[in-house]
Amino acid sequence: MSGNTENKISSDIIIYAKDLSKKFGDAIAVNSVSLSLAKGGITAILGENGAGKTTFIHACLGLTNPSSGTLSMFGQPPGSISVRRRTGSMLQDADLPDLLSPREHIELFASYYPDPLNIDVVIGMCKLTGFADKKYKKLSGGQKRRVQFALAVIGNPDLVFLDEPTTGLDTDTRKMLWDVVRQLAADGRTIILTTHYLEEADALADRIVVMHAGKIIADAPTPEIRSLAGGAVIKCVTALSIKAISVLPAVISVRRSGRFVEISTENQTSALQGLLMEDPNISELIVKKPSLEEAFERIVHDKEQE
Amino acid sequence: MQFLSLNAFFNECGAEILKAVRAPEYILPTLVLPVAFYALFAFAIPNSGVDSARYLLATYGVFAVMGPAIFGFGVGVANERDRGWLDLKRASPAPAASYIGAKIMVTLIFASLALIPIYLAAGFGADVTMARSAWFMLFGLHLLSVLPFIFIGLALGFSFGSNGAVAISNIVFLGMAALGGLWIPAFLFPSALQTFAANLPSFQLAEIALAIVGAPSQSGVDRMPMHNLTIVAIMTTILAGLAFWAWARQRN
Repeated sequence: MSGNTENKISSDIIIYAKDLSKKFGDAIAVNSVSLSLAKGGITAILGENGAGKTTFIHACLGLTNPSSGTLSMFGQPPGSISVRRRTGSMLQDADLPDLLSPREHIELFASYYPDPLNIDVVIGMCKLTGFADKKYKKLSGGQKRRVQFALAVIGNPDLVFLDEPTTGLDTDTRKMLWDVVRQLAADGRTIILTTHYLEEADALADRIVVMHAGKIIADAPTPEIRSLAGGAVIKCVTALSIKAISVLPAVISVRRSGRFVEISTENQTSALQGLLMEDPNISELIVKKPSLEEAFERIVHDKEQE
Repeated sequence: MQFLSLNAFFNECGAEILKAVRAPEYILPTLVLPVAFYALFAFAIPNSGVDSARYLLATYGVFAVMGPAIFGFGVGVANERDRGWLDLKRASPAPAASYIGAKIMVTLIFASLALIPIYLAAGFGADVTMARSAWFMLFGLHLLSVLPFIFIGLALGFSFGSNGAVAISNIVFLGMAALGGLWIPAFLFPSALQTFAANLPSFQLAEIALAIVGAPSQSGVDRMPMHNLTIVAIMTTILAGLAFWAWARQRN
């Protein structure tokens, strides 16, 4: 900690970004992003490919220099050695040398950190036991991702970045990874993961930051993000046309899905009353909470309308 | 923290050695070819007396250390950069000095392994005799010769993708060897080519080595080892700057 009293970013603030931008030539990858992230919990950065998630993470890791704005990690400049000693990361396109075994890779990474976890414990935790001594190049894609994940946690870091950790993984490996991520968060570590799987953000994250075209367009606790899609979704079979439904009270949007229509509404009671008034013969009625996917589509849709 | 860096350095050296030993198809040619060529030209060809064996010991020694330096750094760094491995290392607390230091250490080990059979062939096969101090000075010079080629390798590794780096490293390696007069003495070249040869670190290093073994200079004029040494130092500094520039440029 520096003795700079003016720079009184508390030690509980792990990431502090203000008006952060990154340009590659004429393209703006990250556009005036401001974000403050406190210690603990799992935060998901959600967005489509090209939304700026990876560039933002690379800036946090000191791999890319911001074009403008402020960014500090643990109150220090990104990439400084004291920050790197407290950080573990799993990058999207980082493959390891082919001819070393998972155990050798993990031993090497453990030697970079002042207080690493026990190597055998990490091998067990990340389920590498059956192949820890095989050469890396002989492993399957899912096994390789598990080794990369092990490298992110071996240093016993306070902060773990996981950039698209489960892309292309089989269900078993994904569930294993989720379990370990929850366990790491339960130990008081701060986890930041990027994903374009809404299901993953929904299942894991306490907080969701939605990025679109380089900007943060939503940033809130997960239940709040979900509620942005409106109060409820009504699913039923009806003779009414989409057009007739869309003018009913409290209806936000309507779409057809096979035999069903799906009505997104901000007030399920008034929408249902209106619906039953127009068509008393509706059948197979389901009322459900909106999924995160619906929330996400709505947030991105609203942003593009602006 | 001091201990931590040292521990990382030893682990990094071990990892580099394992990677090299587990890919013998890459490392063996750089160890075997120099001594095979040396044996062929120094005493398998008739009329090649002890003078030519002495002369070629100086130049083939430079040739022998070029391979591990140019390929180890050029192809090795390009490959690890290409697959995103260097990014992951940069994000980790791995000391940059221990990564480069381990690669230099391993290059020196393999350079020694390439040199020793040539020295044995010269001493026992071709009966080259020199003062003991001359043998040690020659070995020291040959080991130090890795330095400019390491910087060339680094510049290539940071500038090209892994496939490109293999091709360019081969061209640089063979060009430095042939045009630097390591295979055929430069005084046999046409004069324009001789002038060009003098601009290569391989030529200048060979000149110093030839002075140590007491063989004639390639340039045909009076021998000036201090002059050659200064040129090598300047070239090495320029190449170090080039390597640094290539490194800085590939970061964004």
